[in-house]
Amino acid sequence: MTKLEIRDVRLRFGGVRALDGATFDVPEGQIVGIIGPNGAGKTTLFDCISGFRRPDTGSILLDGAVELTTKPPWARASLGVGRTFQNARLFRSLPIRENLRAVQHDRMRHSGFVRSVMGLGGARRDEADVAARADEVLELVGLTAHGDKPASELSTGMLRLAELAAVVANRPSLLLLDEPSSGIAQRETEALGPILRRLAGYLGATVLIIEHDMPLIMGISDSIVAMAAGAVVTAGTPEDVRAHPEVLRSYLGAAG
Amino acid sequence: MSAFFGTFPPGLVTGAVYAMLAMGLVLTYKATRVPNFAYGAMATLIAFFHYSLVRGKRYSITIHLLFLHVHIHARPQLPFWGALPVSLALAAVLGLGIERIVIRPFARASTVTMIIVTLALATVLDAVAQQIFGGQDLIVSNHDAIFPRTPAFSVGGVNVSWEQLGVVLIVLGLAAAVFAFFRFTSTGLAIRAVATDRDVSSLLGVSSSQLSVVSWLGGSMVAGLAGIALASVIVTSNPDLLFTLTIKGFAAAVVGGMVSLPIAVGAGFGIGLVEQIVQHYFPRTVGAGELFTLAAVIVVLALRPPWIFRGIRDDEDSGLTSGPGAGNSVLARLIDPAEAWRLVKAAVPTDGRVGRWFRVLRWVVPIALAVLAVAFPLLPLPGFWALPANLTLIDLLVVLSFVVLVGWLGQISVAQGAFIAVGGAGTVITAHTLGLPFPFPILGAVALSVPVSILIGLPALRLRGLHLVIATLAFGLAVQEAVLPRFTAASFVRVPHLLRSDGAKYEMSLLFVAIALLVCWRVQRTRVGRSFVAIRESETVATAYGIRPVRTKLTGFVLSGAIASLAGALLTYQLGGAFNQTYGTVAFSITWLSQSVVAGITSIAGPVIGALLFGLYPALSQGAVSAGHVSYLPEITAGVLTILIMAVNPEGLASMSRFVRSRTSAFEEAPSPLAEADDVDEVPPMTEVPA
Repeated sequence: MTKLEIRDVRLRFGGVRALDGATFDVPEGQIVGIIGPNGAGKTTLFDCISGFRRPDTGSILLDGAVELTTKPPWARASLGVGRTFQNARLFRSLPIRENLRAVQHDRMRHSGFVRSVMGLGGARRDEADVAARADEVLELVGLTAHGDKPASELSTGMLRLAELAAVVANRPSLLLLDEPSSGIAQRETEALGPILRRLAGYLGATVLIIEHDMPLIMGISDSIVAMAAGAVVTAGTPEDVRAHPEVLRSYLGAAG
Repeated sequence: MSAFFGTFPPGLVTGAVYAMLAMGLVLTYKATRVPNFAYGAMATLIAFFHYSLVRGKRYSITIHLLFLHVHIHARPQLPFWGALPVSLALAAVLGLGIERIVIRPFARASTVTMIIVTLALATVLDAVAQQIFGGQDLIVSNHDAIFPRTPAFSVGGVNVSWEQLGVVLIVLGLAAAVFAFFRFTSTGLAIRAVATDRDVSSLLGVSSSQLSVVSWLGGSMVAGLAGIALASVIVTSNPDLLFTLTIKGFAAAVVGGMVSLPIAVGAGFGIGLVEQIVQHYFPRTVGAGELFTLAAVIVVLALRPPWIFRGIRDDEDSGLTSGPGAGNSVLARLIDPAEAWRLVKAAVPTDGRVGRWFRVLRWVVPIALAVLAVAFPLLPLPGFWALPANLTLIDLLVVLSFVVLVGWLGQISVAQGAFIAVGGAGTVITAHTLGLPFPFPILGAVALSVPVSILIGLPALRLRGLHLVIATLAFGLAVQEAVLPRFTAASFVRVPHLLRSDGAKYEMSLLFVAIALLVCWRVQRTRVGRSFVAIRESETVATAYGIRPVRTKLTGFVLSGAIASLAGALLTYQLGGAFNQTYGTVAFSITWLSQSVVAGITSIAGPVIGALLFGLYPALSQGAVSAGHVSYLPEITAGVLTILIMAVNPEGLASMSRFVRSRTSAFEEAPSPLAEADDVDEVPPMTEVPA
């Protein structure tokens, strides 16, 4: 079963071909890593999947049926596409626990304006569920002790974790993680792998992850897609990709 | 045909003044990124001063010092051209003072912070002008005009006066001078560099604070000159004109993306000319030219042509809570609640008892207030109590509508006062045209506000920050010019028997206020309120989690519009009709915005505090003061406090308790779960990569 099919996605910024025919499949339930040098088009691809950019041509198919490229970003989130940002972003002035409730907005099916304001049964249950889940994911990333701090007061590493908790609380079926290790210390990066695994297991979601930290991404991914100049160079198991001559030359450089 | 060309001289002349205003706005914005909404107020203040000097106004101060009574009075009078240097010197001092005291502390603040601060400054300057020069219109007689109003020459039967010719030439000369300043001086070059990239410029050694001084000095003097010329050209002007002026100047400046001087000047002339032409073809519609400009502004902004974004700093979030305040100015530190709390803590030995007191007070104070509010008419009150008390409740509702829109949703609008007029209109229409009995007119007022809110909300879907404020300002002015004058003595409503007494009217208003507060309290605590705040904090992040910006923003606009409209309906019943026009004006809206900021723009408690602070107290004290003597002290206080509060804590007074709590509970620094990384999975090191 294929969770996401990316077919010949192209996007130009003026004269630059940011995406130049990127094509690959993401199998359901897998953790797929995307590697590639700066400017390979990895984040642009994420933007195209989550809807913040629109590709010039090409198709992105969710669950083999839903064409994503024509939908606004919020609708893609409702369909189960969750993403984190390269620079870890949350609602800055809200406490973490409030953040984790706010991101579940779309999952509260019984909480229209009137029902919320009147505190009717369904809405009240929704609120209780949301609060419970917020505490749960907070526990999962180990931030329970920091739950009442506003996001703006967290260190980069903790903000990164809080963002992971938020995207998990939103319960996506496809999780896009954009460089979860960027901006945090090497020692902390080592702890990230197990946390990411735990979160993926908790969600049972398919995960697409962009990462520059080789040990981390090679360690957690079921398969790897190597990109360069807006297209896929090679794809396969971590071992295969690591051994691919093109990858060695263009990405790992001197190591070859 | 000559009638058509006859619109050219007056059109070009008012256009010249708009161009001058736009020039000053561009000058200041380029160098400091401050959209100066106090610009029209500065122009008006200098103009009033100048013509007082020309006419010889008597100034007097009496000082009582123990048994010493000093009475100083002076009646300075100078001819027009002798007074001009004095007026411009005052403009220079005003500009320097504002730069140093108000602008400098906000050097790095967000656009929205600067908008609120300069709007507050506008109310202060406006109130100061009215306090000193009285609320009367300024009429510039032929004798005092800047140039003689006699014809200079005539082309094809169209007369051009010396005044018109002179003002246009002055503006063109000034534009050329400012243009040359940007092009050929090193300071001008530095300003252009800063306008392009502030950080890089400062790394290269450009002193942005020095440029700030230069631009405010220059901008203020241009404002002064523009005010003096405009007052002469349009003969009769009043302080309310300043908001109209500001919007015209901004309309022209925005066309050039706030940075292009030639485009701004050209647009200024264009707007002036088009207004005259439109007025020529619709002679019987009052303010047709103005309405046309305001509509054009809204349409152009909503279409978002790329050139209006050239110099605009488009903050990603609303900038209301995350923008840095000042923190570094001495004035700000004096009222910094954290600083004050540290002093208190040092003085009183606390072992969590203070925190417990806070928790108890959080419940006791609101309950006590509620009981007091309900039982208020039973107190021994002076005979005039009903009007102030009801106005206080109306004040509360309007501030609450600002809390929803600005504080929660982060959409800064200055059109909320217009909903007072919408509420009045809805009440009268339901009562008269539909002929429905008592409770329905109030519901009708709320119902009418829904489509109007959506109409205002639509531009907001595509605009933010500066552009949004300009659009709502244009909308507010359109209501002020087109709707308010239609309220006449015939706009009365029949008040039912039940509500004839003051006490009954008060209790009815109180009931609606309680409902509004309860609804907002529930909204804040549940899903809808969280989505508002999410949109305020970051539209991008909110969208990534499936929050729909369009629906959320429109919900907020409708909710806040309904609350303000309810206030309009209650006011209509209080007065027995939709007579009162002052509450619907943009000037009043801006004062209300200032009050909301001071009282706490993000909390339900804010409107209550605001009403007690700015509604009840001044109303009671004014009632006591002899009639006829109006003091502008409340406006001045609100404006000054707004600026101070934005400097230390952009969330306002109502967040103080939360602020204090967060400081005192002193999070024990729990370690980051990332730091204790002992259960690391076995990860293949990269050195094992086969060659």
